[in-house]
Amino acid sequence: MLEHDVLVVGAGLAGMRAALAAHQSGANVAIISKVHPVRSHSNAAQGGINAALTDRGDNWEDHAFDTIKGSDYLGDQDAIEYMCTEAGPELIDLEHMGVIFNRDDEGRLGTRAFGGQQRARTFFVADFTGQAILHVLYEQLMKADVRVYEEWFVLELIVEEGECCGVIAMEIATGSVFVIRAKSVILCTGGLGRLFEPSTNALIVTGDGIALAYQVGAPVMDMEMVQYHPTTLKGSGVLITEGARGEGAHLLNKDGERFMQRYAPNMMELASRDVVSRSEQTEIDEGRGIDGCVLLDCRHLGEDLIAERLSQILEIGMDFAGVDIRKEPIPIQPGMHYIMGGIKTDMDGRTIVPGLYAAGECANVSVHGGNRLGANSLLDTVVFGHRSGRHAADWANGKAYRDLNVDDYVDGKEKEFSDLFSRQTDERWSQIRLDLGKAMDRYMGVYRDEEGMQSLLAMLPGFRERFAQASLQDKGRVFNTDLIFTLELGFMLDCAESIVLGGIERKESRGAHSRTDYPNRDDENWLKHVLVTRTDDGPEVSQLPVTITKWQPEERKY
Amino acid sequence: MKYAFFPGCVSRGGCPELYPATIKVCERLGLELDGLDKRGATCTGAGVLQEKNLFLGDVFNARTFAMAEELDLPLLTICSTCQGVMSQANKRLKDDADYLARVNAHLALEGLKYKGTAQPRHLLWTLIEDVGIEELKSFVIRPLTNLRVAPFYGCYMVRPSDALEFKLYPEREDSLERVMSALGADVVDFPGKTRCCGFPILTINERNSVKMVALHTSDAKDLGADALVTPCPLCHLNLDGYQPKAMQQAQRDIDIPIIHLPQLLGLAMGFDAKEMGLSRHIISAKRVLSKIKVPA
Amino acid sequence: MQITVSVRRYNPQDKETPSYWQEYSLEVEETSSVLDSLIKIREEEDGSLALRCSCRSAICGSCAMRINGHAKLACNTKVSDVAEDGGTIKVEPAGVMPVIKDLVVDQTLFWDKVKQVSPWLQPEGEEPEAEYLAPNSDMTHLAGVMACIMCGACVSDCTVLEMDPNFIGPAALAKAYRFAADPRDDQDASRLAALSEYGGVWDCTRCYECVEVCPKGVAPMDRIMALRDRAMEAGYTNNNGARHTDAFEASVSHSGRLNELTLPIKSFGVLNLPAQMSMAPVAIRALMRRKIPPIIHKSVPGVKNVRRLVESVKEEQQDEQAAG
Repeated sequence: MLEHDVLVVGAGLAGMRAALAAHQSGANVAIISKVHPVRSHSNAAQGGINAALTDRGDNWEDHAFDTIKGSDYLGDQDAIEYMCTEAGPELIDLEHMGVIFNRDDEGRLGTRAFGGQQRARTFFVADFTGQAILHVLYEQLMKADVRVYEEWFVLELIVEEGECCGVIAMEIATGSVFVIRAKSVILCTGGLGRLFEPSTNALIVTGDGIALAYQVGAPVMDMEMVQYHPTTLKGSGVLITEGARGEGAHLLNKDGERFMQRYAPNMMELASRDVVSRSEQTEIDEGRGIDGCVLLDCRHLGEDLIAERLSQILEIGMDFAGVDIRKEPIPIQPGMHYIMGGIKTDMDGRTIVPGLYAAGECANVSVHGGNRLGANSLLDTVVFGHRSGRHAADWANGKAYRDLNVDDYVDGKEKEFSDLFSRQTDERWSQIRLDLGKAMDRYMGVYRDEEGMQSLLAMLPGFRERFAQASLQDKGRVFNTDLIFTLELGFMLDCAESIVLGGIERKESRGAHSRTDYPNRDDENWLKHVLVTRTDDGPEVSQLPVTITKWQPEERKY
Repeated sequence: MKYAFFPGCVSRGGCPELYPATIKVCERLGLELDGLDKRGATCTGAGVLQEKNLFLGDVFNARTFAMAEELDLPLLTICSTCQGVMSQANKRLKDDADYLARVNAHLALEGLKYKGTAQPRHLLWTLIEDVGIEELKSFVIRPLTNLRVAPFYGCYMVRPSDALEFKLYPEREDSLERVMSALGADVVDFPGKTRCCGFPILTINERNSVKMVALHTSDAKDLGADALVTPCPLCHLNLDGYQPKAMQQAQRDIDIPIIHLPQLLGLAMGFDAKEMGLSRHIISAKRVLSKIKVPA
Repeated sequence: MQITVSVRRYNPQDKETPSYWQEYSLEVEETSSVLDSLIKIREEEDGSLALRCSCRSAICGSCAMRINGHAKLACNTKVSDVAEDGGTIKVEPAGVMPVIKDLVVDQTLFWDKVKQVSPWLQPEGEEPEAEYLAPNSDMTHLAGVMACIMCGACVSDCTVLEMDPNFIGPAALAKAYRFAADPRDDQDASRLAALSEYGGVWDCTRCYECVEVCPKGVAPMDRIMALRDRAMEAGYTNNNGARHTDAFEASVSHSGRLNELTLPIKSFGVLNLPAQMSMAPVAIRALMRRKIPPIIHKSVPGVKNVRRLVESVKEEQQDEQAAG
């Protein structure tokens, strides 16, 4: 019997940080991940991690204010306070583990400027901060000898008598189905970017954990808050870090104008992401773009700075756009990047299902609200990964494993698989996913309206119908990626439902949710979270007040 | 054409047959050689000195480059290792003016200064870039028809490709095949052609080194090659000298002759076996000679 | 452009069929990557084709495979760089590691090597309350090594690992260097001692395969050379590799050239009779063919210039060292 006190699903920053915390609490912990930990999408976080260090003359309240303002006042302020006070200690922990942060002249941790913040408080490793931290956390995992179920795919959460007590999972290399028993399960599966086409996200980012929780009745919250990053490459959606603008790169329209001066005269290119993306989209829509793009100009930064601090972007420009950013501006457009919404948790990472926790992008403890600041995502993952790991270990402590009828669970899955394997149709996951992704991008993109969202909602049953017909071309069990993609598509359809419902429900414009039919923020009616819960009677939409501690909503200007 | 000629240590050391063969072939091709060895040029460091004292290695090579500059002659090598080490040193020296100045401060002791203009080039590349393949064909009086030869470049002739300027000179990538074909031979394409011969770890891990010899020589043999041809005397030392051991280790017959590039050129140009020093190999070259009807 | 992608297929569930080449013809954009092409095949033509891929931007390290015979990331290899219009691209799984299915290899060996070098920071003494102080130049230097995405391209094409699975290999040694060169790490001595053993830094042939195939500019071999230097500096010189390097430097510094006769003798250690004897058959065969270097080792002409040069370089290096 495979069993662990704490089972962490996903091995990005949140997952590994949670596992280390649970391990330090004395729990028998394991990680299960559909890819090797260092392949996780946390890799893609380029720019850095925010922290207000007091010995730099910064303070957590300023950081909290910037975050709250950035969230368009939808973030829960108690959670934001916790994140911003823990940022310093968490950053220093990472440094002590071995992260090779860039330094200042005195050998202390160095900072760079990032969007939506009053001061430079983003700590970084060149332009591959996420990778540098991810690999160090994996080093710590090796040191702690934590078991990793590498390339195992979670099919379903096991909930008995209302408590989460394990998972049904498939070992990808063999296709065998197993039950892993656990006293607590922490979902750290990241976002759902591939639900949109295009997206900056890696191909593995398919909302698995969000859907797993949604399927067992845990509510998801503010799913309509989808971040479009201002600088992504056309077509492929490959990301160009905000660090480029942090280092001083300009955004230009087709006339060579720094158009941000018309939208955010103070912060210019470093306004919040939602603001910059909207500005770009407006420029493009009003005919001042070039072939659906605007230009990011790095030329004046100089070759040395580019080589030292933006080396990956230099490579990406060459490899994926054929542009040498030292010599010419690179065409970019807003592209789907991040989901602020997610599984609703409390500050300890708890969902409403006892024994089930969540942290990182798949969770919504609500520190990002309507719009996440650059370099707050890494911070979110380590702070709440850490805390949920500790609390999941506490929950497991002294608890007995539940008796599970393992064979029933495995046989049930085998039955589903044999149905799936025997289907013979022309319908495949790839075309459905592409159609779904394009529809999401079209109707849930930078600008939205009632009509579009309603038409999308009306399309979903059709997608589900096609999904129910989808068949496999690979009929074997060994490393069957055809099967994996099909299963992921099922998860994505659940996520799509909650995003559309959330979007229709929120009748205002706030953060990333920009409605042309409700162009203004409406604090009177909508200073609220929107929750979607799956019930036996279908999805149920509800609302919850936002937690305000000391920062009252103000007009948001950059 | 006249060249500042850098023969390297091994062509007059462990492979004493290489130097005289080269001299004869170059003379025939009209390549006039001014030997830098006679002017006191040092070893390149062969990559070994570099692991302990990279800077000293760069100073040595800059000194050689400065000598060639003084003669105002292009620099010619006949060893893949020398070529690679020189190309890498040259890249460091040319890419960084401050570094070059630091190196030149030492060369000043001898009144030398490297200006950064040298372009060390292996005989193999020279055949293509200076002589020209068509011109080369005109020197062939004994086409190597039916001789099946497999190329073996030596690591430093193919990697790292940026120091070797493959982008600028794309024909360098398959230069050996081009030359062998020009001589009338049949080229046996061979997966090991750009792999390591094992020589650098011979005294460190002989078992692995000999395994490499066994793998590549037997692969070439099994693909029907009559001989392996190499522009690198170090590869020759291992593939030829340690082939008997490789046969023992692999417990099979291999026995494939290893021919220096200049020897192959010489045979095609009508030189006899003795002139090319072919009797001095450990693995007898007789079968090659009989195939092209040259007396042993 | 029109291309043919020839993929090395293997399915362990089909016991009858060994691995084989399968060709797919397709139309792709000029700017497409090889990965784009493989994804297109998988999504539109053949869902049974197995490969790993995720980020599409050379950061996750999933899609290392052999393209036209050399290890590359499929995602940052442009089709137009490896094939002409109408041409064929050969795609195979990475080398050295066993194949699970099609282009998917079992990376257990890769990670076992990494674990072998104790790849985590090991400072001594009490942790400071704030961060460790460290020069930015050291950190940016290490960033060049941390840029490694553990894709395994270097391991795939390593000429030594192909022969001997005991070699720690380029990726893991680069990782080891990352700690040996980290000013915060205090286990240099034990790390360097372990790396000086069989399978460690001295087993590298310096073939540059890893430097050539690394998609992230990590240059693992250069890190291995730096580790050799550090190991010798730290006094781990009682091995053939260090003796070889020492003797080489001495020979070249003294005479301007290599003394090929005494070099192997010195590498094995003069008193290492079994090793010396093992060379005897080779030496005798060479002697019989007169394939030997001159018995009397001659210096280059004007060798005193060389010696003066060496002296001058070493003085500068000593001064530098003294200055810290």
